[in-house]
Amino acid sequence: MAEKFHTELEKLKADTLEMAHLGRFMLRTAVDALIRQDAELAASVVARKEEIHRMEVRLEEHCYHLIALNQPMARDMRFIACTLKLITASLRIGRYGKVIANIVKEILDKPHIANLMSIPHMADLVIDMVDDAVAAYESDNLRLIDDFSSRDDTVDALRHSIFREGITYMMEDPKNISRCTHYIMVARYLERCADHACKIAENVQYMETGERVEIH
Amino acid sequence: MSDAAIITTNNVNLWYNEKQALQSVSIKIPKNRVTSLIGPSGCGKSTLLRCFNRLNDLIDHVKITGEITLDDENIHAPSTDVVTLRKKVGMVFQKPNPFPKTIYENVAYGPRVHGVRDKAELDKIVEQSLRHAAIWDEVKERLNDSALGLSGGQQQRLCIARTLAVEPEVILMDEPCSSLDPIATAKIENLIERLKEDYTVIIVTHNMQQAARVSDYTGFMYLGKLIECGKTGQIFEHPKEELTENYITGRFG
Ligand SMILES: Nc1ncnc2c1ncn2[C@@H]1O[C@H](COP(=O)(O)OP(=O)(O)OP(=O)(O)O)[C@@H](O)[C@H]1O
Ligand SMILES: [Mg+2]
Repeated sequence: MAEKFHTELEKLKADTLEMAHLGRFMLRTAVDALIRQDAELAASVVARKEEIHRMEVRLEEHCYHLIALNQPMARDMRFIACTLKLITASLRIGRYGKVIANIVKEILDKPHIANLMSIPHMADLVIDMVDDAVAAYESDNLRLIDDFSSRDDTVDALRHSIFREGITYMMEDPKNISRCTHYIMVARYLERCADHACKIAENVQYMETGERVEIH
Repeated sequence: MSDAAIITTNNVNLWYNEKQALQSVSIKIPKNRVTSLIGPSGCGKSTLLRCFNRLNDLIDHVKITGEITLDDENIHAPSTDVVTLRKKVGMVFQKPNPFPKTIYENVAYGPRVHGVRDKAELDKIVEQSLRHAAIWDEVKERLNDSALGLSGGQQQRLCIARTLAVEPEVILMDEPCSSLDPIATAKIENLIERLKEDYTVIIVTHNMQQAARVSDYTGFMYLGKLIECGKTGQIFEHPKEELTENYITGRFG
């Protein structure tokens, strides 16, 4: 009985990791498409929207099913709780990827202003956070997430600086307004993705130790 | 634990002949709360439960060391009267064991032994106890029928009424639902929830979901030791000890 349940939990974990990797991939690919102004690559991200939604529904159902049939406790309960949060976070990250991909075609007409400012750098930091949070879930290694608070601060600071820089370009030339507004929005989406990475990290911490922490 | 303790054990060891069945068990049982004891078969749950009203005294070759207090009084002190102790600490067993007498007599028996003679007084105790045990409505028309004609779940509630009739402070229950169907079990569980208003309940159960549902505190025992005891929510959400974690998630052995 317990053995069958634990085998099912392993399967749930593998499937959830697959979904997390898809969400992360959509975000990474969207940012790459933005940097390279590659409409085709951007379209390939948008095309995976349905797939990640289906994964979310299927995995959530799997979790509810396991809860109803096994009434999990202690570590098993915390694992499923964390998994549910990771599923939601992965969907959101994937969706932000899709939203960024949709922006790509809006600003194909001209080269980027100021090489996209700090957006590529910010995206690298955010995606590293997503990777480490997911890897911590996979490997139970809390060291991967122990500096999330300061990494999140850096991401927030970058968003703020992109905002201020964007405003400057808009004031210099009103023709920049539409383009810079998109940049500011992208920075905002990336910051939200870092928040989701922090949420995942908080839940991994809970899964491992039973303690609730808050990462700002 | 924050709640005031009614029973406290301090370093209790117990041997059946050469075999040690309890090893330095120190536990506080909070008053007016439900405490459950869980753990694998043979870990000493029933033995510990029987310590609380000295039922182990009835078994040959039992040796106990350490201290057990009820209301701050040592239950092994020479001044403690075992009959009074067992009146204060009642017990309900795994298999319902009504006397082969009428329903009325089953409940009236205890108070009679303790000197209640007045018929009106006995009637009152019987009705109150049966009401308290949530079985009154089912038996009030047939109080003079044999208790053996009741269903298993009804018999178990009758046994609880019998225990309540002598106004105990603590009620010990050793797997009280293991021979009952889910509906009868639910009735007993609801009853336990209400009993804690007036009594302290200690329940041994193999059913972890039941322990989680009915108890405020849970103690986990393993090989004669109390490994961990704490608020039920904490034990089932994030136990401190890995052994407890492994047991309640079925990763044992
Ligand atoms: N009367 C007895 N004489 C000798 N050994 C006993 C006696 N009663 C219990 N034991 C032993 O003491 C140990 C603890 O028994 P106990 O009945 O307390 O376990 P338990 O946790 O209640 O188990 P179960 O869940 O199976 O009821 C066991 O090894 C058992 O064999
Ligand atoms: Mg037993």
